[in-house]
Amino acid sequence: VTGGTPGGTTFATVAQRTRALLAPPSPGTRLADGTAVRERLAAAISPLAEGMPGGRQVVVSVPTLRQALVDPARLAAPEETFRWKPAFARRSLGLAVVEACASGRFRAPAEAVGPIVQEAVAEWDRTGWRTYHWEPWLAGLPMGARAVVLADAVGWATGLWSSLDWRSLVPEVQFGATYEQWVSPAAPTVRLKARPDLRVPLAASAPAGPSDQMGEGGVALVSVCGGCPAPGWADELAFLALVSIVGSTSRPAPVRVLGLWPEAGIHRVLNIDDVALARATDRVAVALSAVVEARASGVACP
Amino acid sequence: MPPWRPLAGSQLLERLRVTGRRRQAVDPELVSRLRLGLETGLTDTEAGTDGCLAAPVMVTKDRLTGALACSEHRPLSELGGSAPTMAMACGALIAVLFRQLVTVGHIDDPVSDGMAGLSVDDHHQSLTSWIGTLSATEKAELRAELTRQAEGMQRRWPPLEAGWLPRTREAMRVPVLGGAIELSARVDLVVGRPAVDEASVAIVDVKSGARQVEHRDDLLYYALVEALRAGAPPFVAATYYTRTGELDVEPVTAPLLFGAVHRTVAGVRILRDRARGIEPARHSPSRCSRCAGLSGAEDHGTATATPRTSRTSRGPSVQVAGGTRSETAPAPPAPTPTAATHRTAA
Repeated sequence: VTGGTPGGTTFATVAQRTRALLAPPSPGTRLADGTAVRERLAAAISPLAEGMPGGRQVVVSVPTLRQALVDPARLAAPEETFRWKPAFARRSLGLAVVEACASGRFRAPAEAVGPIVQEAVAEWDRTGWRTYHWEPWLAGLPMGARAVVLADAVGWATGLWSSLDWRSLVPEVQFGATYEQWVSPAAPTVRLKARPDLRVPLAASAPAGPSDQMGEGGVALVSVCGGCPAPGWADELAFLALVSIVGSTSRPAPVRVLGLWPEAGIHRVLNIDDVALARATDRVAVALSAVVEARASGVACP
Repeated sequence: MPPWRPLAGSQLLERLRVTGRRRQAVDPELVSRLRLGLETGLTDTEAGTDGCLAAPVMVTKDRLTGALACSEHRPLSELGGSAPTMAMACGALIAVLFRQLVTVGHIDDPVSDGMAGLSVDDHHQSLTSWIGTLSATEKAELRAELTRQAEGMQRRWPPLEAGWLPRTREAMRVPVLGGAIELSARVDLVVGRPAVDEASVAIVDVKSGARQVEHRDDLLYYALVEALRAGAPPFVAATYYTRTGELDVEPVTAPLLFGAVHRTVAGVRILRDRARGIEPARHSPSRCSRCAGLSGAEDHGTATATPRTSRTSRGPSVQVAGGTRSETAPAPPAPTPTAATHRTAA
């Protein structure tokens, strides 16, 4: 684990942070074997899910991992009916804004946000297709409320935009608008959901010496997080990689995850290896146990 | 002497940009010393460890000011008096209208836009409900004041270049002592790209009410938090008063930042004691912003402040250079003597 931290005396520049993200994997690095990781994960969590009342599917995401640590009792509560809020739209809108800036269409987030929203709403109006899902909600908001959504998105986008050197990333970077998912094979099923903000392909590393093998490239994931790094942050970053590895058999596996905490000016780089994946698996198991226990006690004491 | 007029347009931006002082070079050593000052001051020798509290001590500007206030000036919120008021409603509405102005460039109907802005934020649910219960006369008063202030903002604030990365209600967090203490701030406007060689960020706090002496302490707290999180302090911190158009500009210097460290240490120690269930002894007025402001004003003779007479009063009446104010809201207290208050004849 590396990264600039205000807890010490070093602050990373944009260039240093970008270099840390893009550095080729160490020589000899082998990408995680998705099949083996999937089997280990299924073996670790399927027995735990058996205690789920009613055999219902359990969904585990980063918020679930956190809640299991800080307030497991709340896991018993039924999920609230989804209702759009500025906080829910800002990531998706913010990512679209950063993508538009990175492509050179706009100079900065404040310039991009208005046109991006206008285009998305107009497209939805014309075709009925919702690229971002928030189009009908945003279209129906009065001016003052819409301004709050736009302002929140500009803030989120600026945090990401000013953290990295985009000239070094474009055009290979992929903006992660949708969830990556994996569902365990045995019933009751467990659905893992994660949403990295960026996927950045990495160059393969050259051999360091005659006895070294060429390293595989893989990808780096980027996740923009709120507040300060909380206890367990490394496992949460590793969880993003875990879901990416088990959720796709075709995409290159992540070899590192860059966590950005713009509010705190902190970044962390987590290299993804067997240890990191094992810790993420353990964390999923802890969260799953907490969910099952909370739901079981919720059933017993309505 | 020509009448004083608030700055507008490019003059307002120029006042923020050019403070009359050189911008500080980015100096990691300075930031290290600021952090060291905080951590040394907060290292808890009596309790042995800071890990004995289950949750981090959350520090905000209001909590800091409240903790340091003497018993005479302890804020109403600390005494259980946090029910909504007209001033709170006006402040919250102006805050969302300012965001709207910066983000989309215009305000249509201040009341409709402001209420719509508040309504999408669950934190303001009780306030929006309370505004709904106001009498017709009170609503008319609120509308009149909002309209006046919103018109002033629109007239005076020019569009901000997107390339300056303007962002509103910017959240800042700084963990201290391994996360046992968390300094938190939310700044109304931040402008500027991350610093490379010299300080490059300006922070602006927007106030809808009268000037209060603690506003300067708030600014310096923001500057400290920004310095600790970004590795470089802002080059300027300013308070913009939407009621009058005044702009108090504070060029950020190392001595001011160290002053903010000392004040923060003093306040956090009290907050930490309270979190442990220890009510500190009656505070000395030396750290109370109001007491310091009153004595400072008397010492400097820049303004004549009358003593505070009521806990509910938001500030004493004051005469300032250029004449007595004749605003609809209560008159502002003494300007902070050391802040570079803008008073330029147009």
